[in-house]
Amino acid sequence: MTLLQREREIIVRNEYIDHFDFDEVKEFISGASKNLFISHRFKNSKEILVQPRGGFPTYDKVFELYKEFKDANVDVLPLTIDSNTRLNDYATAKKMLSLSEANDTDMLNGYPLVNHGYRTTRKMITHYDTPVSLRHGTPDARLLIEVALASGIFEIEGGPITYLLPYSKNFPMDKAFLYWKYVERVCAEYSKLNEPINRESFGPLSATLQPPAIVIVIQLLEMLLSLEEGVKSFSVSFSQTGSMLQDIVSSNVIKKLARHYADKFGHDDATINLVYHQWMGAFPYNREYSDSLINTSTVIASMIGADKIITKTRNEAFGIPTKEANALAVANVKYTLGMLKGLPKVGDEEEEENLTNEVHEILEAVFNDGADTLWRQVFNSIKNGYIDIPFSPHIINANKVITVRDKNSNIRFFKRGSVPISDKSFAFEKSKISLKDGDRVVDKIIQDIGIML
Amino acid sequence: MKVVTGVVGNDIHVVANRLIDISLAERGFEVFNLGVNTYLEEFLDAVIETDADVLLISSLNGEAEGWCRDLQILKSQYNFRDNVIFMIGGNLVVGETTAEEIVPRFKSYGFDLVFHQVDLNEGLDQLELFLKASK
Amino acid sequence: MNRLLIDIGSTYFKIAEQGKIEQYFRNFDKSILNDLESKCADVISSYNKDDVYICSSANGGLSTLIIGLSNSFSLKYAVNIAFNSGINIIDTVLYNNISNETPPKDNIDVVIIVGGINSVDNIFDEKIFEYLNNVNYQNIVFVGTEKSHNYLQNNIKDIVLLENIISDKLQIREDELKSYLTDLYQADIMGKEDIKQLYALTNNQIFSTPYIVNRALPKIHEHIDVADPFIVVDIGGATTDIHYSRDLVNDNILSSSGYDRLVFKKLGVYKSRESLVHIAKQNEFVFELLEHLNVTENILEEKSDEATRVLMQLSIFLVLYKVSKHHASYIELNLEILNNIILTGGITQVLTQEDVDNITLFFYKKILHFHHTPKIILDKNYEIWTYR
Repeated sequence: MTLLQREREIIVRNEYIDHFDFDEVKEFISGASKNLFISHRFKNSKEILVQPRGGFPTYDKVFELYKEFKDANVDVLPLTIDSNTRLNDYATAKKMLSLSEANDTDMLNGYPLVNHGYRTTRKMITHYDTPVSLRHGTPDARLLIEVALASGIFEIEGGPITYLLPYSKNFPMDKAFLYWKYVERVCAEYSKLNEPINRESFGPLSATLQPPAIVIVIQLLEMLLSLEEGVKSFSVSFSQTGSMLQDIVSSNVIKKLARHYADKFGHDDATINLVYHQWMGAFPYNREYSDSLINTSTVIASMIGADKIITKTRNEAFGIPTKEANALAVANVKYTLGMLKGLPKVGDEEEEENLTNEVHEILEAVFNDGADTLWRQVFNSIKNGYIDIPFSPHIINANKVITVRDKNSNIRFFKRGSVPISDKSFAFEKSKISLKDGDRVVDKIIQDIGIML
Repeated sequence: MKVVTGVVGNDIHVVANRLIDISLAERGFEVFNLGVNTYLEEFLDAVIETDADVLLISSLNGEAEGWCRDLQILKSQYNFRDNVIFMIGGNLVVGETTAEEIVPRFKSYGFDLVFHQVDLNEGLDQLELFLKASK
Repeated sequence: MNRLLIDIGSTYFKIAEQGKIEQYFRNFDKSILNDLESKCADVISSYNKDDVYICSSANGGLSTLIIGLSNSFSLKYAVNIAFNSGINIIDTVLYNNISNETPPKDNIDVVIIVGGINSVDNIFDEKIFEYLNNVNYQNIVFVGTEKSHNYLQNNIKDIVLLENIISDKLQIREDELKSYLTDLYQADIMGKEDIKQLYALTNNQIFSTPYIVNRALPKIHEHIDVADPFIVVDIGGATTDIHYSRDLVNDNILSSSGYDRLVFKKLGVYKSRESLVHIAKQNEFVFELLEHLNVTENILEEKSDEATRVLMQLSIFLVLYKVSKHHASYIELNLEILNNIILTGGITQVLTQEDVDNITLFFYKKILHFHHTPKIILDKNYEIWTYR
């Protein structure tokens, strides 16, 4: 038995798991319907795939949610996991699940997949015969993804950086890298059986004034960490920045550089796709404005040639949307997309050159770290503040970078901290910022965060 | 002037926390930010280790009371120098309670400055005034 | 390249070559070197001194007294570094209470004083000198604010000044203190004739066994089937050592090690037998536990083999209890997410797999309300120290 398989046997031997039958799971995946694989959809579809958000604690409610989505002609179904499961606290998840079932109220903010188990969940997934994407936020997702893959969920979102820096204060990052290595390896192994399992990184990060250079660097690094373990289908992603121009520039640069670095590291056989998240920041308390925001981001997704768009609803500012509101959002996005076919490619050479330079500059510093493995180079680079995201709660994050918007709403480095972009690149960023004398930076930041309010 | 700051208890409002950090730094304070999910004892320990002039606790999720009620008792176990200022701000309680009710209550817990649902700049302006007056 | 590994314990020593481990009971009438040479002269002489590696836990390790300014920073950081440097016995004093604390009677190998970030002045005063006057110590080191360097140097003889372990961002800086403590261990060995003689056999530095074990843990998966997060529990004659994956604690220490260590100094089955029994009797679950093992309370006073077996099971229970959320102490481990417990040391020679499974299941059922336990691995050959 391989080292990985021996570790897997230990991981699935858990208080909250019924006997885990690896042979049966292997057989299931080998014979699974192609329709369950988003990688297969990507290959055979020219259109942008639409994926909403959503998840409920009980099986029945998720089942109904999926029905609602299918009626709205959804392309990819989400399965959002509850926050107890994200912290590997299956005991609390179990308790809250039975309360939710007994009282018909939602005591969890998502689906406790481990407690439901793969035998049950698989029935629902195969029933709808549609790709499902696992959305969680778990640093140690080893057991979770075993259950997900065994259930027929063939897209796994997340990564050691993107699921840690925005969510955790002190989970040890070196452990997160090792636990995600396991995830990549299991996905790689199953990818040999049928269509490839798709891995997707989580580009929105803390969803607050994230500088595109840092977002792209993190996307490319998680991509490389995944491909080096044998994953063959990977999605990079980012969320709407608040500037259409910056979204276009970001998409052109990330597409170009993802291919460049994948090839450079010898992964020319891997497929890379682009995912676009509709606005992840604070939404207006006005449903009509929310509709406009969502429509605009749908237009941008088309302009940038995204392969998948992840949607929001007009009720975003008011808490968890109902399944009806959620399905309506899908229908609306699909409707808008219908008008946006065959758009010309647009760009901005100067902006793209600067962003490309910044990404290369940061990555060069990462690859120059003396460590012997890529994950350790990345780990050290985060410790050193080469990679530093604004508004992360994690103690490892340097918190020295400050970003503000320029007059066209593009997010710019105001302070670069230890991020190793060149003086020339930084000067370009600074030249775009116009702060009047006596203006407080903090007021500018508050205003820039609330740009859509 | 040194300020220790952070968000108390099981509260993950990182944006507010960073804004306070940036704003304090911009006003010339030396900031020690303990981040989100910080416990009362850690705050007091950080004040001691840094010899801070001000402790600024923020709380956004309305659970401040449960975490800070014992400040007075805890304070008595420390040997603070005389003029350390204890300040708290944010959404201190949930529901319809007014500031008139909340402020004296939190002052009785041992805070010198209490701001319930007060704008960040306003709160920090008040802090600076208080510091000037107590010189 | 073939290497010969030797581990000197307090009751026996072990010799490992190419994955094969031999154990020998120590003959206390002889020096360690003579004892080793009389039992395995052939093996030892077949190796070059460069290829012989020795670690030792025989000399008990260093005893430490830490005086710190706060629990969350000074003391926590210093204790973390000291444990990870292989130190066993740690007493702590909060500086604010120093006037009311009784100084330890035992001889202290090293006193560590810590407090304040580098910009802070006037933390320490005469109180510390008065206290130290009543402490019997060999070495003293200061790892707090630079501003106190002169004051302490002028008032405390032979004090060693190192880099502050608390950074200006209040984060831990472990390197200087860690190497100081490991070197001190080395010096301590050199002071102990018995161990010093062992340098006749090796050209390599002799380290403390727990330090070596801690260093071996990242490689453990290559040798035995374990998955993070796990704990390694070494219940010895005098103390109990635990090494744990860092993600088992919810702690804001940004250290470089994937595994931290902690020691319970009064939990041992031989030298600390009395205190173990005392701690056990105070535990509210112990009578249910004895009933579960089908023995009476009297067994705790007996000296039979059966009694030793029960005591060992009891110590496993107490160790888990002491690190669980039901017992607030230096750290709290999230035992709910454990994948493995590895038991090593003397108890693996006495207890069977069934014995340890039984007691662990009792703990998990009773305390955590689980139906089954992490997989328990008995390191029967006591070979973790050979991994690298």
